Formats: sequence, C-alpha cells, structure tokens
Amino acid sequence: MILKEVKSSRIGDKYFCIEHSSGLKVFVYPKKGYNSTYTIIGTKYGSINTSFKCCGESEITKVPDGIAHYLEHKLFESEDGDAFSKYAKTGASANAYTSFDATCYLFSCTKNFDESFRVLLDLIQSPYFTEENVEKERGIIGQEIKMYDDDPSWRVMFNLLGAMYHKHPVKVDIAGSIESIGKITPEYLYKCYNNFYNPSNMVLCVAGNVDPDSVFKIVDEIIKSNSNKVPECIFPEEPYNVATDRVEQHFDIAIPTFQLGFKEKAPKSRLTEEQLAQTDIILQALASKSSNLYKKLLDENLINDSFGYEYFEGEGYAAVIFSGESKDPDNVSKLIKEEIEKFHKNGIDREDFERAKKLVYGRNVAMLNSPENISNAILNLTFANRELFHAIECIANTTIEQVNDRLKYQLDNKNSSLSVVLPLNSKKEK
Amino acid sequence: MEKIFSRCEISDGVNFNTIKDERFKTGRISVTMFLPLEEKTASVYALLPSVLTNSCRKYPDFTSLNKKLADFYGASLFSDISKIGDMQALTISVSFLDDKFTLNKENLSSQLTQLLCDILFDPLIENGTFKAENVNQEKRQLIELIESEYNDKKILAKIRCEQLMCENEKFGISRLGSKDIVSKLTPGDIFDAWKKVLKTAKIEIMAIGDLNENSALEIFKSAFSKIKRDNVVKYESEIIKRAGKVKEQYDNLDIAQSKLVMGFRTGVALQDKEVMATRIAVALFGATPQSKLFLNVREKLSLCYYCSAKYDRNKGIMIVQSGVEKKNLEKAKTEILNQLEEIKKGNFTDSELDDTKKSLANSYRTIGDFLSGLENFYLSQVFDREFLRPEQFIEKISAVSKEQIIKAAKLITLDTIYALVGNEEVK
Repeated sequence: MILKEVKSSRIGDKYFCIEHSSGLKVFVYPKKGYNSTYTIIGTKYGSINTSFKCCGESEITKVPDGIAHYLEHKLFESEDGDAFSKYAKTGASANAYTSFDATCYLFSCTKNFDESFRVLLDLIQSPYFTEENVEKERGIIGQEIKMYDDDPSWRVMFNLLGAMYHKHPVKVDIAGSIESIGKITPEYLYKCYNNFYNPSNMVLCVAGNVDPDSVFKIVDEIIKSNSNKVPECIFPEEPYNVATDRVEQHFDIAIPTFQLGFKEKAPKSRLTEEQLAQTDIILQALASKSSNLYKKLLDENLINDSFGYEYFEGEGYAAVIFSGESKDPDNVSKLIKEEIEKFHKNGIDREDFERAKKLVYGRNVAMLNSPENISNAILNLTFANRELFHAIECIANTTIEQVNDRLKYQLDNKNSSLSVVLPLNSKKEK
Repeated sequence: MEKIFSRCEISDGVNFNTIKDERFKTGRISVTMFLPLEEKTASVYALLPSVLTNSCRKYPDFTSLNKKLADFYGASLFSDISKIGDMQALTISVSFLDDKFTLNKENLSSQLTQLLCDILFDPLIENGTFKAENVNQEKRQLIELIESEYNDKKILAKIRCEQLMCENEKFGISRLGSKDIVSKLTPGDIFDAWKKVLKTAKIEIMAIGDLNENSALEIFKSAFSKIKRDNVVKYESEIIKRAGKVKEQYDNLDIAQSKLVMGFRTGVALQDKEVMATRIAVALFGATPQSKLFLNVREKLSLCYYCSAKYDRNKGIMIVQSGVEKKNLEKAKTEILNQLEEIKKGNFTDSELDDTKKSLANSYRTIGDFLSGLENFYLSQVFDREFLRPEQFIEKISAVSKEQIIKAAKLITLDTIYALVGNEEVK
C-alpha cells in the first residue's frame, strides 16, 4: 500500500489516499479544529445496475427493480443484531442511501471513532438475509415508495426521466415499485451482495476530526479481500432522441411544478473535470439569478425562488435539467429555449463568462466547509475517475474559448422533454 | 473546540454577536428581527425580507444586485421567515467566500457587510415608498411559497395539526401570513412595516467566520445610530401546560399514503428547569433510530417508513409525524400512544437512556462544525437569561436522572390528532 498525499496550495487543504490490497480505495481528509468526523463507504452499485454478466457466465442476470435500495435497508441487519443498535452504543449518528449508481453507508461522530468505524466496516461485510427479515422490510419500503408517490417534486423528476429515456434504467424509480419489490427474495439479495459488495468496487472516505493512521490500520484489520471479479453491467442501447417531448400528471396541489430536460449523447467513458467545469459555467451564465434569462422569466411572472438547474450525468446518461414551480411551465420552456438559441448563435458574453466562473469557483470552495460534503464529493468523483482538487483547479483555469466550444455539444433544443405536474382542477379545462 | 462567542448591545434591543472562527472557507453575517406573531401583521412582515433583498438604492433591480453577488464569488443573499414560540423571526443573511481564497485577493467581508446594511437601511425608494413593480414581484412569489406548502403533504399535515391545536393561540398563525392579506398589501404598507421593524423589533446580528468583526461592528453601529429605537418588542409566548379534551380531525385527500400528525402539550417550556429532561424523554420516545417509535411502529410492526417525535421548547409542545396506510391509521395511533405510556411507566433500560444521552451529546458537539449550526444555536437562546455553550448543554444532559425523565414524560398530554387520509390501498 502506497500512501499518497494530495494537496491544494490554492485552498490550503490536503488529504491522504491509499489503495488497500483488497482494492478498496481509502481517502482521509483531516479538517483541523473540527469536532466531528464524517465517514462514508460506498459501492459502485445503484438502482441502474439491474442487468449484469457475472464473471465466467455467458447468461445475463436480470434482477428486480429496487433491489440495490432493498439491499441497503437489509444490510443494517446482521446475525448478531442490527447496526443502529451498535451505533447507539458509540453515540454516532448513522444513515445510508441509494442513488442511481451507488449505495452508501455513513456515520457522523464526535467520539469513539474507532468503535463506530468498526461497526461500519462490519456492517458492509456481514449480510444476513432470511425469509422472515426480508418479508418484514417489504411493508417499510412499501411505505417509503408511497411517500414518494405523494411527492410532486419526486414524481415530476421520474416522469421526466421516463420521457427522456427509452430504455436506460435511470428512468426507473430508485426504490422500484410495490410490484417489483414483491419479487425480491433472500437469494436475489445474496446474489447482488456477493457480486457488487466487493472491496475492489468500493470507496471509503473519512473527513473531519481524524487521524489517517488509525483509519488505514482498522481497514487493514477488517476488510477482507474478494478475488471474484465484479460483474460487467449491461445497459441497453439508448437512442439519442428523447422518447417523448412532453408528459403530465395531475395531483391535488396548489401550484404546478415542472422539469425540463435536454438530453445529450452520453460518452463511452465518464466526462472529465474540465468538461464538467465548462458545463457548470455555461449553466450559471445561462440561468443564474444574474442572467438575462432569469430576468425575463421573472418579468413574465413565470418562476420563483424554487427555480434551479443541474447537470445530471452518469453511466450511459447525461442531461441538463431545469426545474421549479410555475403557473405556466410551457411558457418557461419556451423562454429557456429562446435563450439557448441565442447562446448557440452568439456564444457566451465575456463579462457573463467571468462572472459565472467566479460564482462556480466560490460555491465549490465553500463546499469544503463541511466534512459531509467533502466525503460525498470524493466518493462520487472517485467512482467517475475524477479528483476533487483537480476539479476545482479546472474551474479556475477554464477559458471562454473552451466554454463556447463545449456549448456546441449541449442544450439541443430539438432534443428536450418537459415534465409537468398540474393541479387537479386544470384537468377539467382540457 | 472552544470558539469565542462575544456579544454587545449596539442600540436599544439591538445586539451584535460574533463568533470568531478560522476553520471555515466562508463567512456569514445575518440579521434576525423578532416581532410578535399577529394575524394582522404576519403577512406584511413575511413579505418585508424578500422585498428588501430584491434590490436596493445602489443596485436598483434584482438583476444588477445579483450580478454584484455573483462577482463576489457567488455570495448568497438569503431571506427567511421562521417562528420561535409566538414570535415571528425575519432573517436576512449574506454568506461569502473568505478573503483568503479569492482568486485576486479581494476583500469580500467588508464589502458584503456594507451590502447587507444597504439592503436593510438603504432600499430603493420611489415617490416616498417602495417600487410597486418590485413589491408585486415579491408578493406573487410569497403567494406561490404559501401554495407550495400545500404541494408537500407531509408539511401540509403538520401545519394543519398545529393550526388546529393552537387555533386560539398566536402560534396557530402561519409564519408566512395568508394569501388573501398578502395579495392586498400595498407598497405603502410594506414601507410602514419596514420603518416599524427597524424601530421596534428585537434585533440580533450574527457575524461568524474569520472576518474583521470590528469593522462590521462599526458599520452596523453607525447604521443603527440613525434609527430612533422605541417600544422595543419583548418576548412573549403563551404556554398551555396541559391539553384539554382531545381534538380530532381527518381530511380526505387524493393521496397514496395517509399522513398522521399528533400534537402534545409537554408542560415544560422555555427556561423551565425540566427542559433537558423533556428533551431526553422525547428523544427516547421518538427522535433517534433507537427510539421507541422507530423500533416499534416501524421495525416491529412495519407500519411506516417514518415515525418520529420533535420537541419545541419555545412553545412547550411535541409533534409526532408518520406516514401510513389508511387501514393502519388506528393501529399506528394506538401504538404511538402505547409507546408514550412505556416512557411514562419508566419501561426503558439504563442502557437505552445512556445511548439516547450519547446521541444528543453527539448532536450538540457537531453544532460547532457548521456556520449555520452555530448561528441557530445561539439565536435559539437570545430570549434566555444567559447563553450556554454546547458543552454546557452536554453537562446538563448527563446530570438528568431516570426519575426526572419519567416525571417529565408524565407531564406530556395528547392535545390533537390530525390526518390527511389517503385513498384505499390501490394495489
């Protein structure tokens, strides 16, 4: 194991990393003077990884939707009790989450770090799935799914993904459906666990009040190597064009909400830090509170403070998404597209570029206040083969020429979908 | 780590607080103005912070103001309305990159302190009042914010429960005011409210980070020296110690999952010496993943995904929230009350108690690692006799005995049951 130190002279911070003999990548980012330590371990396995080819097998294995999330719930239980009760003894505050492409387990503590850390590492290495405990979880996850069914901002997002994507599993709800989780068995859970919870597919990050040596020592003591190869995940061929350009749903709500997505061709390998910095700057120049677009939307009374935008990208998918509440989402969409057309025609104004760049840089440095943000960022960057300080450096070094060049490949007005959730009464008018 | 908290009164009822802290990449300055929560004034006060942060004399429209903020490395200017007991709290804040990390070594902290003062004291005035166009823009947005609370059914159920529970108390009034009143407000109404707030509100300024606090102090001092302070607001909150007859209300709605909210009177509030015992009792009951509610309503009976309890010391109430199937509403309600009885009967082990204390201590020790955590922690104490540091809270926690917790739990009484009732199970 070679200990590497990564430093940013610009920020005055540094972190340490090693690749453990098991293949686990370990990052430790001490924050001087902090009381708390935030620790996260994640596997590069999320809701989209439902089709895969195990090593040495020719058949493709297909598992029910929502299984990564179900596994996250169940991993808290082991033969000698559940992890929450173990954390209770150390005083740590623990949680877990499943995203499209990762499942992560975390805790935050101010004392007894070593003990809590052992609980975390044991947790991800001691699966215990029985007919009974898997059955018990079905009711709980069922209510989690229904909670999201009632959440217009969640529905509007998945309706958008369904409108943009023909086949890619990113369109499927992370927790699956009541129907799909009905098919989940202990056997399926073990199959996914054994294939994807391999240290060589995982990243660990600790930030805050922490001594790097104690982290590396405990990792070495607890993490067991797994010589199996991680399966190859299979994704269906996804066409460039969106599946449909508009989708709507009606809810008992007072103000409509929308998401407008511009689908892009997802590259074979993940985007670089440079490309991401360029896109962030484009989006801020286009739509931040100081932009012409924002002013127009306000002048027309079309948006409020909930308006936002993000670059949504992962393995096999990439899109720019605008979202918010609006009395007239179709008109919002129209104005955004008009502004995009201007951007494509004229390029980005130099003053707007400089301003957007400073904004993106400032917000990214501010993110380093929080051990939680740091750990989550390093974990997700690592899964995408990116590095934190390089990402910040790229923002500072971005030029207007690069940004205008990148713009050519993004925000295709001919390839967008609008998802709206409307109040019930607007149904009658149609 | 000990951080230096200092405080001084710069005008009648206006305090300047600083927390000097060199660990952060950003600094933050906020101004919080406390006013009595009243039906008549809640709407206009709720609108004021957003009208002020829309623009100012120097940057006379939303776009020019936000261009300036972006130039300051994406500094954030926020406004917020909250409720502390029967008081309405209006907050305007700026967060900005620490000077050390700017690309060209710029001095952001003093420029943003000045900007915050401009926002507060030097708004855009046309013909003796606020500009109608800006006011209308912010009125529309506040109305939409009120509407968005209806969109989120968890929030909606909680608001309705609190309204029903406190229908005859100030606390039952929405912190955002009402759509009807907001829509009728004129620029003149807001202008008058602005004058009144600067004159009478209790005001707390917080400056946190590695910033030049003396220059910030001078800027605010000089700004407030021009305001004649009078009739400064005193803290008032009506505390009802025991619930009367239980109120129940169920509203049908086209949703997949029913949202259950139960409101309790805790009998202990503000600076009562039992506050920490109540806090621990509520945590044991339903505020951690080891609590009675999580282990029984969720884990044992699989009735829900979330079921938790929250204590509001400023009002002396506890709110329990859960999302369940319509057919399980009764069962969940019964089990929640059963588990409260368990705490009252002292049916919890020393180790459960010890674990709960550890979990609370952990959250107090974590506060100091967040700028906003520090700000809220000290702001929550401005109406107390003295300021305590997080470590002093932890000492108080460890001193509470099992008997004190049982005694505190026995004071908790059920006041109101409210639910948004969903459709029959579809699948």
